[in-house]
Amino acid sequence: MKYILFSLAVSFLMISCESEGELTKTEVGSTPVLSESVLQYSGVFTPTSGIDVTGKAGIYLDGEQYKVSLEGFSISRGPDLKVYLSTSPNPNEFINLGALGNGMSQTYVIPKGVDFNTYKYVLINCQQYNHLFAIA
Amino acid sequence: MKKYFIPLIFSTFFFQFLQAQGCSDAGICSIGTLQENPDKAAKNQIEVSTILGAGESDTQYFSPSVTYTRNFNERWDAAAKITSSFASGSFGQRGSIGDAYLLVNYKPANGKIFKWSYTAGAKIPFNRANLKINNHPLPLDYQSSLGTFDFLTAANLSYKKFDLNAALQIPVFNINANSYFAEYSGTADFPTTNLFERKPDMLFRTIYTITTKKITFKPNLLFIYHLGEDTYENIYGRRLSIAGSQGLTVNGNLISTYNLKAASIELSLATPFVVRDIRPDGLTRKYTVGISYKTRF
Repeated sequence: MKYILFSLAVSFLMISCESEGELTKTEVGSTPVLSESVLQYSGVFTPTSGIDVTGKAGIYLDGEQYKVSLEGFSISRGPDLKVYLSTSPNPNEFINLGALGNGMSQTYVIPKGVDFNTYKYVLINCQQYNHLFAIA
Repeated sequence: MKKYFIPLIFSTFFFQFLQAQGCSDAGICSIGTLQENPDKAAKNQIEVSTILGAGESDTQYFSPSVTYTRNFNERWDAAAKITSSFASGSFGQRGSIGDAYLLVNYKPANGKIFKWSYTAGAKIPFNRANLKINNHPLPLDYQSSLGTFDFLTAANLSYKKFDLNAALQIPVFNINANSYFAEYSGTADFPTTNLFERKPDMLFRTIYTITTKKITFKPNLLFIYHLGEDTYENIYGRRLSIAGSQGLTVNGNLISTYNLKAASIELSLATPFVVRDIRPDGLTRKYTVGISYKTRF
Protein backbone atom coordinates (compact mmCIF):
# COMPACT_ATOMS: atom_id res chain seq x y z
CA MET A 1 0.00 0.00 0.00
CA LYS A 2 2.71 2.45 1.01
CA TYR A 3 4.61 1.79 -2.22
CA ILE A 4 1.49 2.40 -4.27
CA LEU A 5 0.89 5.61 -2.37
CA PHE A 6 4.45 6.70 -2.86
CA SER A 7 4.35 5.90 -6.59
CA LEU A 8 1.11 7.79 -7.04
CA ALA A 9 2.53 10.79 -5.24
CA VAL A 10 5.70 10.81 -7.32
CA SER A 11 3.67 10.45 -10.52
CA PHE A 12 1.54 13.38 -9.52
CA LEU A 13 4.59 15.52 -8.80
CA MET A 14 5.83 14.91 -12.33
CA ILE A 15 2.71 16.32 -13.93
CA SER A 16 3.12 19.68 -15.60
CA CYS A 17 0.19 21.79 -16.69
CA GLU A 18 -0.41 25.08 -18.48
CA SER A 19 -3.57 26.91 -19.43
CA GLU A 20 -4.24 30.48 -20.47
CA GLY A 21 -5.81 33.12 -18.29
CA GLU A 22 -7.11 36.63 -18.70
CA LEU A 23 -3.60 38.12 -18.90
CA THR A 24 -2.14 35.49 -21.23
CA LYS A 25 -4.91 35.01 -23.79
CA THR A 26 -3.40 37.34 -26.37
CA GLU A 27 -0.40 36.28 -28.41
CA VAL A 28 2.90 37.84 -27.38
CA GLY A 29 3.76 40.66 -29.80
CA SER A 30 0.18 41.10 -30.97
CA THR A 31 0.03 44.85 -30.23
CA PRO A 32 -1.78 46.38 -33.22
CA VAL A 33 -0.15 48.91 -35.54
CA LEU A 34 -2.71 51.32 -36.91
CA SER A 35 -2.85 51.88 -40.66
CA GLU A 36 -2.06 55.57 -40.23
CA SER A 37 1.20 54.73 -38.44
CA VAL A 38 4.28 56.14 -40.14
CA LEU A 39 7.37 54.07 -40.80
CA GLN A 40 10.41 55.92 -39.39
CA TYR A 41 13.25 53.40 -39.69
CA SER A 42 13.65 49.88 -41.03
CA GLY A 43 16.23 47.15 -41.46
CA VAL A 44 16.54 43.53 -42.53
CA PHE A 45 17.44 40.84 -40.03
CA THR A 46 20.76 39.05 -40.43
CA PRO A 47 21.51 35.91 -38.42
CA THR A 48 24.44 35.07 -36.20
CA SER A 49 26.36 31.83 -36.69
CA GLY A 50 24.16 28.76 -36.81
CA ILE A 51 20.88 30.69 -36.78
CA ASP A 52 18.25 30.98 -39.51
CA VAL A 53 16.27 34.19 -39.68
CA THR A 54 14.07 35.95 -42.24
CA GLY A 55 12.16 39.22 -42.18
CA LYS A 56 12.69 42.84 -41.37
CA ALA A 57 12.17 45.23 -38.46
CA GLY A 58 10.41 48.58 -38.77
CA ILE A 59 10.09 51.41 -36.26
CA TYR A 60 6.66 53.04 -36.57
CA LEU A 61 5.28 56.19 -35.03
CA ASP A 62 1.72 55.36 -34.01
CA GLY A 63 0.24 58.65 -32.76
CA GLU A 64 2.75 59.60 -30.09
CA GLN A 65 3.81 56.02 -29.46
CA TYR A 66 6.78 54.37 -31.15
CA LYS A 67 6.51 50.68 -31.92
CA VAL A 68 8.82 48.16 -33.46
CA SER A 69 7.25 45.74 -35.90
CA LEU A 70 8.74 42.47 -37.10
CA GLU A 71 7.42 41.65 -40.56
CA GLY A 72 7.69 38.43 -42.55
CA PHE A 73 9.59 37.21 -39.55
CA SER A 74 10.78 33.76 -38.65
CA ILE A 75 13.76 32.58 -36.64
CA SER A 76 15.37 29.43 -35.26
CA ARG A 77 13.89 28.28 -32.00
CA GLY A 78 15.53 29.37 -28.76
CA PRO A 79 14.74 28.83 -25.10
CA ASP A 80 14.08 32.41 -24.06
CA LEU A 81 14.23 34.84 -26.98
CA LYS A 82 13.78 38.56 -26.35
CA VAL A 83 13.45 41.63 -28.52
CA TYR A 84 16.04 44.31 -27.77
CA LEU A 85 16.67 47.81 -29.00
CA SER A 86 20.41 48.20 -28.81
CA THR A 87 23.10 50.83 -29.23
CA SER A 88 25.35 48.32 -31.01
CA PRO A 89 25.04 45.00 -32.85
CA ASN A 90 25.80 43.29 -29.54
CA PRO A 91 23.55 43.10 -26.46
CA ASN A 92 25.66 45.31 -24.23
CA GLU A 93 23.58 48.46 -23.85
CA PHE A 94 19.97 47.76 -24.69
CA ILE A 95 16.29 48.15 -23.93
CA ASN A 96 14.50 44.85 -23.39
CA LEU A 97 11.10 45.03 -25.12
CA GLY A 98 10.00 41.67 -23.76
CA ALA A 99 9.55 38.09 -24.87
CA LEU A 100 9.50 37.20 -28.56
CA GLY A 101 6.23 35.75 -29.81
CA ASN A 102 5.52 33.14 -32.46
CA GLY A 103 3.93 34.92 -35.40
CA MET A 104 5.43 36.16 -38.65
CA SER A 105 4.13 39.62 -37.82
CA GLN A 106 4.81 40.91 -34.33
CA THR A 107 4.77 44.36 -32.77
CA TYR A 108 6.22 45.69 -29.52
CA VAL A 109 5.68 49.01 -27.80
CA ILE A 110 8.83 51.10 -27.29
CA PRO A 111 9.17 53.05 -24.02
CA LYS A 112 8.94 56.84 -24.26
CA GLY A 113 12.07 58.92 -24.72
CA VAL A 114 14.18 56.51 -26.76
CA ASP A 115 16.74 58.19 -29.02
CA PHE A 116 16.83 56.16 -32.22
CA ASN A 117 20.11 57.78 -33.23
CA THR A 118 21.56 55.95 -30.21
CA TYR A 119 19.45 52.80 -30.19
CA LYS A 120 19.93 51.94 -33.85
CA TYR A 121 19.65 48.17 -33.77
CA VAL A 122 16.93 45.63 -33.17
CA LEU A 123 18.32 42.42 -31.73
CA ILE A 124 16.82 39.02 -31.06
CA ASN A 125 18.69 37.68 -28.06
CA CYS A 126 18.38 34.61 -25.89
CA GLN A 127 18.38 36.10 -22.42
CA GLN A 128 18.73 32.81 -20.59
CA TYR A 129 22.07 31.98 -22.23
CA ASN A 130 22.92 35.50 -23.43
CA HIS A 131 23.24 34.24 -26.98
CA LEU A 132 22.60 36.65 -29.83
CA PHE A 133 20.36 35.22 -32.57
CA ALA A 134 19.74 38.04 -35.09
CA ILE A 135 20.44 41.72 -35.82
CA ALA A 136 18.51 44.31 -37.81
CA MET B 1 11.18 4.17 21.08
CA LYS B 2 13.40 7.04 22.11
CA LYS B 3 16.09 5.52 19.98
CA TYR B 4 14.17 6.55 16.90
CA PHE B 5 12.03 9.23 18.29
CA ILE B 6 14.35 12.22 18.26
CA PRO B 7 16.05 11.65 14.91
CA LEU B 8 12.75 11.23 13.14
CA ILE B 9 11.39 14.26 14.86
CA PHE B 10 14.20 16.48 13.79
CA SER B 11 14.44 15.23 10.28
CA THR B 12 10.77 15.82 9.80
CA PHE B 13 10.85 19.04 11.68
CA PHE B 14 13.56 20.53 9.58
CA PHE B 15 11.37 20.31 6.54
CA GLN B 16 9.33 23.02 8.05
CA PHE B 17 12.32 25.30 7.68
CA LEU B 18 13.05 24.09 4.22
CA GLN B 19 9.74 25.32 3.09
CA ALA B 20 10.85 28.80 3.95
CA GLN B 21 12.25 28.91 0.47
CA GLY B 22 9.08 27.58 -1.02
CA CYS B 23 6.66 29.31 1.29
CA SER B 24 8.49 32.02 3.10
CA ASP B 25 5.40 33.29 4.81
CA ALA B 26 2.42 31.20 5.76
CA GLY B 27 3.38 28.26 3.61
CA ILE B 28 6.19 27.29 5.88
CA CYS B 29 3.69 26.70 8.60
CA SER B 30 1.75 24.09 6.82
CA ILE B 31 4.37 21.57 5.87
CA GLY B 32 5.70 18.80 8.04
CA THR B 33 5.12 18.04 11.65
CA LEU B 34 6.89 17.11 14.75
CA GLN B 35 5.75 13.58 14.44
CA GLU B 36 6.60 11.03 17.04
CA ASN B 37 7.48 7.61 15.79
CA PRO B 38 5.68 5.05 17.92
CA ASP B 39 7.04 2.14 15.92
CA LYS B 40 10.38 1.05 17.36
CA ALA B 41 11.29 -1.04 14.36
CA ALA B 42 10.44 1.61 11.81
CA LYS B 43 13.48 2.72 9.90
CA ASN B 44 11.64 4.41 7.07
CA GLN B 45 8.97 7.01 6.74
CA ILE B 46 7.07 8.24 3.70
CA GLU B 47 5.02 11.37 3.83
CA VAL B 48 2.61 12.51 1.16
CA SER B 49 1.21 15.96 1.63
CA THR B 50 -0.51 18.79 -0.11
CA ILE B 51 -1.12 22.42 0.69
CA LEU B 52 -3.93 24.65 -0.47
CA GLY B 53 -3.28 28.34 -0.19
CA ALA B 54 -4.12 31.84 -1.34
CA GLY B 55 -1.34 34.14 -2.47
CA GLU B 56 -0.91 37.66 -3.80
CA SER B 57 -3.72 39.19 -5.83
CA ASP B 58 -6.04 36.38 -6.94
CA THR B 59 -3.44 33.62 -7.02
CA GLN B 60 -4.35 30.27 -5.52
CA TYR B 61 -2.10 27.31 -4.96
CA PHE B 62 -2.16 23.55 -4.82
CA SER B 63 1.23 22.23 -3.73
CA PRO B 64 1.75 18.48 -3.37
CA SER B 65 4.99 16.98 -2.09
CA VAL B 66 6.45 13.63 -1.11
CA THR B 67 9.14 12.94 1.48
CA TYR B 68 11.17 9.87 2.31
CA THR B 69 13.06 9.69 5.60
CA ARG B 70 15.56 7.00 6.48
CA ASN B 71 16.71 6.47 10.03
CA PHE B 72 20.20 4.91 10.09
CA ASN B 73 20.76 4.77 13.82
CA GLU B 74 20.09 6.76 16.95
CA ARG B 75 22.44 9.52 15.81
CA TRP B 76 21.92 9.85 12.10
CA ASP B 77 19.12 10.01 9.60
CA ALA B 78 18.59 11.44 6.15
CA ALA B 79 15.67 12.58 4.08
CA ALA B 80 14.75 13.45 0.52
CA LYS B 81 11.80 15.54 -0.49
CA ILE B 82 10.32 16.55 -3.83
CA THR B 83 7.92 19.46 -4.13
CA SER B 84 5.65 20.76 -6.83
CA SER B 85 3.33 23.69 -7.19
CA PHE B 86 0.26 24.47 -9.25
CA ALA B 87 -0.77 28.13 -9.33
CA SER B 88 -3.91 29.63 -10.81
CA GLY B 89 -5.07 33.20 -11.20
CA SER B 90 -5.33 36.00 -13.74
CA PHE B 91 -2.37 34.66 -15.71
CA GLY B 92 -3.99 31.25 -16.03
CA GLN B 93 -2.87 27.98 -14.57
CA ARG B 94 0.71 26.80 -14.41
CA GLY B 95 2.12 23.88 -12.52
CA SER B 96 5.29 21.86 -12.45
CA ILE B 97 7.67 19.96 -10.27
CA GLY B 98 9.61 22.37 -8.06
CA ASP B 99 12.62 21.47 -5.94
CA ALA B 100 14.38 18.51 -4.36
CA TYR B 101 15.63 18.70 -0.80
CA LEU B 102 18.38 16.45 0.51
CA LEU B 103 19.10 16.51 4.23
CA VAL B 104 21.23 14.86 6.85
CA ASN B 105 20.39 15.11 10.52
CA TYR B 106 22.66 14.45 13.47
CA LYS B 107 21.76 14.13 17.12
CA PRO B 108 24.67 14.09 19.54
CA ALA B 109 24.49 12.44 22.95
CA ASN B 110 22.25 14.69 24.98
CA GLY B 111 21.20 15.28 28.52
CA LYS B 112 17.72 14.35 29.63
CA ILE B 113 16.41 17.90 29.80
CA PHE B 114 18.02 19.77 26.95
CA LYS B 115 18.16 17.85 23.67
CA TRP B 116 19.98 19.24 20.67
CA SER B 117 19.95 18.26 17.04
CA TYR B 118 21.68 19.62 13.95
CA THR B 119 20.74 19.43 10.31
CA ALA B 120 22.43 20.34 7.05
CA GLY B 121 21.38 19.92 3.48
CA ALA B 122 20.71 21.33 0.07
CA LYS B 123 17.86 22.45 -2.10
CA ILE B 124 18.12 21.64 -5.79
CA PRO B 125 15.76 23.29 -8.29
CA PHE B 126 14.11 21.36 -11.10
CA ASN B 127 13.62 24.45 -13.26
CA ARG B 128 14.94 27.98 -13.75
CA ALA B 129 11.86 29.89 -12.56
CA ASN B 130 10.91 30.88 -16.09
CA LEU B 131 7.79 28.82 -16.71
CA LYS B 132 5.49 30.58 -19.18
CA ILE B 133 1.93 30.48 -20.44
CA ASN B 134 1.37 31.05 -24.16
CA ASN B 135 4.92 32.51 -24.32
CA HIS B 136 4.05 35.10 -21.67
CA PRO B 137 6.66 35.31 -18.90
CA LEU B 138 5.14 34.77 -15.47
CA PRO B 139 5.88 36.33 -12.07
CA LEU B 140 7.58 34.21 -9.45
CA ASP B 141 4.18 33.69 -7.84
CA TYR B 142 3.44 31.26 -10.68
CA GLN B 143 6.81 29.50 -10.63
CA SER B 144 7.24 26.15 -8.93
CA SER B 145 10.86 26.91 -8.03
CA LEU B 146 12.95 30.01 -7.49
CA GLY B 147 15.83 28.54 -9.46
CA THR B 148 18.44 28.58 -6.71
CA PHE B 149 20.71 25.92 -5.28
CA ASP B 150 20.58 26.51 -1.54
CA PHE B 151 22.59 25.41 1.46
CA LEU B 152 20.52 24.81 4.57
CA THR B 153 21.55 24.41 8.15
CA ALA B 154 19.58 24.28 11.38
CA ALA B 155 19.88 23.67 15.09
CA ASN B 156 17.05 22.47 17.28
CA LEU B 157 16.62 22.44 21.01
CA SER B 158 13.95 20.46 22.81
CA TYR B 159 13.09 21.41 26.33
CA LYS B 160 10.14 19.73 27.99
CA LYS B 161 7.13 20.60 25.83
CA PHE B 162 8.92 23.31 23.91
CA ASP B 163 10.92 23.05 20.72
CA LEU B 164 13.10 25.93 19.59
CA ASN B 165 14.61 26.01 16.15
CA ALA B 166 17.02 28.29 14.36
CA ALA B 167 17.88 27.85 10.70
CA LEU B 168 19.65 29.52 7.84
CA GLN B 169 18.91 29.10 4.14
CA ILE B 170 21.53 30.51 1.79
CA PRO B 171 21.20 30.63 -2.01
CA VAL B 172 24.63 29.46 -3.15
CA PHE B 173 24.21 29.17 -6.88
CA ASN B 174 21.60 31.06 -8.86
CA ILE B 175 20.18 29.76 -12.14
CA ASN B 176 17.06 31.93 -12.01
CA ALA B 177 16.16 32.90 -15.58
CA ASN B 178 12.82 34.51 -14.84
CA SER B 179 11.90 37.11 -17.48
CA TYR B 180 8.79 38.73 -16.05
CA PHE B 181 8.44 42.50 -16.54
CA ALA B 182 5.53 44.16 -14.78
CA GLU B 183 5.45 46.91 -17.42
CA TYR B 184 4.67 44.41 -20.18
CA SER B 185 2.29 42.19 -18.22
CA GLY B 186 -0.96 44.16 -18.08
CA THR B 187 -1.11 44.17 -14.29
CA ALA B 188 0.67 45.98 -11.47
CA ASP B 189 -0.06 43.25 -8.94
CA PHE B 190 3.37 41.64 -9.19
CA PRO B 191 6.79 43.35 -9.25
CA THR B 192 9.32 42.84 -12.03
CA THR B 193 11.53 39.83 -11.33
CA ASN B 194 13.55 39.58 -14.53
CA LEU B 195 16.75 37.60 -13.73
CA PHE B 196 15.83 37.63 -10.05
CA GLU B 197 18.50 37.16 -7.39
CA ARG B 198 17.44 36.24 -3.90
CA LYS B 199 19.07 36.92 -0.54
CA PRO B 200 19.31 34.41 2.35
CA ASP B 201 16.69 33.76 5.00
CA MET B 202 17.16 33.33 8.72
CA LEU B 203 14.44 31.51 10.65
CA PHE B 204 13.43 31.01 14.23
CA ARG B 205 10.55 28.90 15.41
CA THR B 206 9.07 28.05 18.77
CA ILE B 207 6.60 25.24 19.25
CA TYR B 208 4.56 24.08 22.21
CA THR B 209 3.24 20.53 22.21
CA ILE B 210 -0.08 19.44 23.66
CA THR B 211 -0.66 15.73 23.65
CA THR B 212 -3.93 13.86 24.04
CA LYS B 213 -4.57 10.16 23.67
CA LYS B 214 -4.90 10.18 19.90
CA ILE B 215 -4.23 13.72 18.79
CA THR B 216 -1.20 15.95 19.17
CA PHE B 217 -1.54 19.72 18.85
CA LYS B 218 1.42 21.91 18.06
CA PRO B 219 0.68 25.60 18.05
CA ASN B 220 3.75 27.50 16.95
CA LEU B 221 5.15 30.83 15.90
CA LEU B 222 7.61 31.22 13.07
CA PHE B 223 9.85 34.23 12.54
CA ILE B 224 11.62 34.61 9.20
CA TYR B 225 14.03 37.42 8.48
CA HIS B 226 14.98 37.97 4.85
CA LEU B 227 18.60 39.13 5.04
CA GLY B 228 18.76 41.76 2.34
CA GLU B 229 16.99 43.23 -0.62
CA ASP B 230 16.49 40.96 -3.60
CA THR B 231 17.52 42.27 -7.00
CA TYR B 232 16.39 42.10 -10.61
CA GLU B 233 17.49 43.37 -14.01
CA ASN B 234 15.33 46.13 -15.48
CA ILE B 235 14.45 46.68 -19.16
CA TYR B 236 17.68 48.67 -19.58
CA GLY B 237 19.78 45.75 -18.42
CA ARG B 238 20.67 47.35 -15.09
CA ARG B 239 20.49 45.44 -11.82
CA LEU B 240 18.31 47.10 -9.20
CA SER B 241 17.45 46.32 -5.59
CA ILE B 242 13.83 45.76 -4.67
CA ALA B 243 13.14 48.18 -1.84
CA GLY B 244 11.05 46.60 0.91
CA SER B 245 11.94 43.01 0.06
CA GLN B 246 14.18 42.73 3.13
CA GLY B 247 12.59 42.21 6.50
CA LEU B 248 10.56 40.16 8.91
CA THR B 249 7.70 37.73 8.41
CA VAL B 250 5.84 36.30 11.39
CA ASN B 251 3.54 33.33 10.96
CA GLY B 252 1.12 31.61 13.24
CA ASN B 253 0.53 27.91 12.73
CA LEU B 254 -1.48 25.13 14.29
CA ILE B 255 -0.57 21.53 13.49
CA SER B 256 -2.94 18.79 14.55
CA THR B 257 -1.83 15.19 14.21
CA TYR B 258 -4.04 12.14 14.49
CA ASN B 259 -1.93 9.11 15.31
CA LEU B 260 -2.65 5.70 13.86
CA LYS B 261 -0.83 2.43 14.44
CA ALA B 262 1.97 2.88 11.92
CA ALA B 263 0.88 6.10 10.36
CA SER B 264 -0.53 9.50 11.06
CA ILE B 265 -2.73 12.10 9.46
CA GLU B 266 -1.93 15.74 9.92
CA LEU B 267 -3.77 18.99 9.39
CA SER B 268 -1.93 22.28 9.37
CA LEU B 269 -3.50 25.72 9.36
CA ALA B 270 -1.39 28.82 8.98
CA THR B 271 -1.49 32.52 8.33
CA PRO B 272 1.01 35.38 8.49
CA PHE B 273 0.71 38.16 11.10
CA VAL B 274 3.55 40.31 9.80
CA VAL B 275 4.78 40.40 6.19
CA ARG B 276 7.50 42.24 4.29
CA ASP B 277 6.50 45.40 2.42
CA ILE B 278 7.32 43.86 -0.96
CA ARG B 279 7.32 40.11 -1.56
CA PRO B 280 8.72 39.57 -5.07
CA ASP B 281 9.55 35.89 -4.54
CA GLY B 282 5.88 34.96 -4.62
CA LEU B 283 6.14 32.94 -1.44
CA THR B 284 3.60 34.85 0.58
CA ARG B 285 0.29 33.25 1.37
CA LYS B 286 -2.75 34.84 2.94
CA TYR B 287 -3.47 31.48 4.49
CA THR B 288 -2.64 27.85 3.94
CA VAL B 289 -4.35 24.59 4.71
CA GLY B 290 -2.10 21.57 4.59
CA ILE B 291 -2.92 17.92 4.95
CA SER B 292 -0.50 15.03 5.01
CA TYR B 293 -0.36 11.31 5.49
CA LYS B 294 2.70 9.61 6.94
CA THR B 295 3.43 5.96 7.05
CA ARG B 296 6.29 4.17 8.83
CA PHE B 297 7.75 0.79 8.09
